[in-house]
Amino acid sequence: MVSIFTDRDERKLFAVIGAVIVAAAIALIQIDAARSGKSSFLNSALATAIGFFQTGASSGLDTARDAVGSLLQAPHLIHDNAALEARNRALEAENASLREAISQQPDVAAIARTLQAEPNGIVAGTIGFDPENQSRIVTIDKGWQAGVRLDAGVIDEDGVVGRIVGVEPFTSKVLLLTDAESKVPAVVQRGRWWGIATGTNTRVQLQYVSQDAQLKPGDVVVTGEGRSFHAGLPIGRVVQVFHPEGALYQTALVEPTVAFGHLGRVLVLPH
Amino acid sequence: MSFRTRTSPTAPPAALFDPPAWWKVALVLFAVVIAQSTIAPHVALRGAVPGLVLLLVLWYGFRTDVVGGLLLGAIAGACEDALAGPSGAGWTVSTAIVGALAGRSAGTFISESRTWLVPYVALATIVRYGVYAIVTRAEGQPIVLPTMHAHEMLWQALYNAVLAFALLTFVPKTGVSRVGLR
Repeated sequence: MVSIFTDRDERKLFAVIGAVIVAAAIALIQIDAARSGKSSFLNSALATAIGFFQTGASSGLDTARDAVGSLLQAPHLIHDNAALEARNRALEAENASLREAISQQPDVAAIARTLQAEPNGIVAGTIGFDPENQSRIVTIDKGWQAGVRLDAGVIDEDGVVGRIVGVEPFTSKVLLLTDAESKVPAVVQRGRWWGIATGTNTRVQLQYVSQDAQLKPGDVVVTGEGRSFHAGLPIGRVVQVFHPEGALYQTALVEPTVAFGHLGRVLVLPH
Repeated sequence: MSFRTRTSPTAPPAALFDPPAWWKVALVLFAVVIAQSTIAPHVALRGAVPGLVLLLVLWYGFRTDVVGGLLLGAIAGACEDALAGPSGAGWTVSTAIVGALAGRSAGTFISESRTWLVPYVALATIVRYGVYAIVTRAEGQPIVLPTMHAHEMLWQALYNAVLAFALLTFVPKTGVSRVGLR
């Protein structure tokens, strides 16, 4: 009997087939979970294990960034401090008058109520990002064990951050407002014109606004009542309005109120 | 009659494979995945982040063979999928494929010269993105903002190529040549 393959060839072939099977099994588990819209046990295990280390790495990174920032800013701090104290006195006076104005505007008052009277909100820290930056998603350090639920809204002190799209035991994933797949019902505060706020990866676009709405730059955009958010949470300000010829709707580019490049502590709203 | 090979005690194999220990690679992979998901977004260049995981997989593929590249690629990709958004198995499959291709290229003229390795890294970045797009599309997920993703892909290809050049130049241990880089 003539042997076609050598021992080495056979071992190599066996190793290749084995590796392909292992890789295919991993891929199928991921695909199966993706199709069912759930997180696979593989994802859960990896995300949980890596989450702890992400927390540590993020803390270290934040500390280092703050330290470097403080050192660089030190010469300007004394000068800035005096200017800020004067400005603070002026702002305190302005704040008092604005509080009066807030009480007369239901949407803005709702923002204040949501931020101040949200005892069931879950405070979480941002610990990670999409590794390849393909989607605008961040990882926070609270999961279902802390009470985070899918589709819960996430805000910070400036306004809407996004909504929960993945929940693991100790971590969760937040789809940012700027992601192209993010869609949030929105209202232009001045005229109560409705639209859908969707991401452009860097900003937010207000779509499907009626052509008779008189949008203009500077208009404040807030959330409409929806599954993830209560009405009145700030989304951003209109910076540009587009009136496509012959289109049924107009579109506006919105500058978000939240600084997505420097996300720190966020509040997960009860769902 | 048999064609089974017999190893000679005096004739070493032409190509000396010197794969690093698996536990060392596992530790490095873990550290790189953490860095990729925490530090890399802070050094993004026009929306493109450095592909640290991809560089590790390519390096390991070149240092081992098809099986090594494929396996590490699949594991590294699975880690990225776990930390990314709704990518399904996109990174798992795409990283495994480029890892296997790197393993297939191990010991060839490509691994012997920076002139080939650096463009190879850029090409691998693009191939990986292409496979990722195909897989995610096959999973039924829409490819949103394709122009922006293409833009980021090209920037990441450039970014990775520059990183690979810097590593090969300033960190000799990252070399994948068996006779010394030219």
